[in-house]
Amino acid sequence: MPKSKPPEKAQKSSGKARFKPGDRVRVKDLPNLFYSRTQIYVRGVVGTIAACTYQDIIPEDEAFNRDGRLEQYYIVRFRQKDLWPEYPFENDTLQTESPERWLEPANN
Amino acid sequence: MSHTHNPGDGGAGERHAAPMVEEITDFEVLEIAVRELAIEHGLFTAEDHRRFTEWAESVGPAAGSRLVAKAWIDPAFKARVMEDAVKACKEIGIDWAEPTGFGTPSDYMNLRVLEDTPTLHHVIVCTLCSCYPRPLLGMSPEWYRTTNYRRRLVRWPREVLAEFGLVLPPEVEIRVEDSNQKCRFMVLPVRPEGTENWTEKRLAEIVTRDCMIGVALPRPGRTADVHPVQKAGRPVQR
Repeated sequence: MPKSKPPEKAQKSSGKARFKPGDRVRVKDLPNLFYSRTQIYVRGVVGTIAACTYQDIIPEDEAFNRDGRLEQYYIVRFRQKDLWPEYPFENDTLQTESPERWLEPANN
Repeated sequence: MSHTHNPGDGGAGERHAAPMVEEITDFEVLEIAVRELAIEHGLFTAEDHRRFTEWAESVGPAAGSRLVAKAWIDPAFKARVMEDAVKACKEIGIDWAEPTGFGTPSDYMNLRVLEDTPTLHHVIVCTLCSCYPRPLLGMSPEWYRTTNYRRRLVRWPREVLAEFGLVLPPEVEIRVEDSNQKCRFMVLPVRPEGTENWTEKRLAEIVTRDCMIGVALPRPGRTADVHPVQKAGRPVQR
């Protein structure tokens, strides 16, 4: 295979994460500026941090091939009933990933 | 397009089965344009491209099956999988950095294996596109990439699983994992009863691709290399 240049290395979490597993967070409902990977269906919904994963460039920068801002990413767990109010099963959940800028503390 | 059915037109005016791919998308046009430019500029040859495509499309789910079987048998290996799945993959001969030294652009070096329990069942989807743990499972099945699966699994997971023949009781928590960023996910199903004392190789045979996506459960006697035989209801009379 021909040689090619590796992408900027994803850095290990530096421990400066704002949230920790178990924290309640709300996904912000921000306008999409050209590009986002934050799904509409989680916007404004409160979930729980399930894991702090890695630090990487935020999609909003990476989509334009900029070096970009590095941010902590999280796996957030939602109750299906919180995502879809008429969802009929109590226990079911959904997890998805989010960079830190899309999350804010939710204390209730 | 005409939707009238004229019995006398010999069938020429209407296609009854739509072709799978009717038109080329913008992204396919873009890929061809970039590829041809890269070949023109000597970054790689058409032969290199064909070889890479042949290699990428030949990767199947066998490595994932081996990982699951080994995790069932060896609790210490399972613990290493849960701790750092990309690192643990090297023990079964899978290096996520291959073939370029840093992986392929969409197989990021973050893998998390989702462990099922008798009361928790995981199923994976990518609502934004078709993110999939390719170094372990190969190319995703076509249905996994359809908007039908992607938009409905997050909203009606139990109904979609039922369409795959998997009906789970309400007390089992279904957890949908939407891999919308750089983690890749794979399901570690519960080892089924009736497989006690099985060898790792025999266990791997029942861990089919769909079991690791989460739309099926492994069962003794159900393997990927044996075609299901369905007897004809009205066999041809000779």
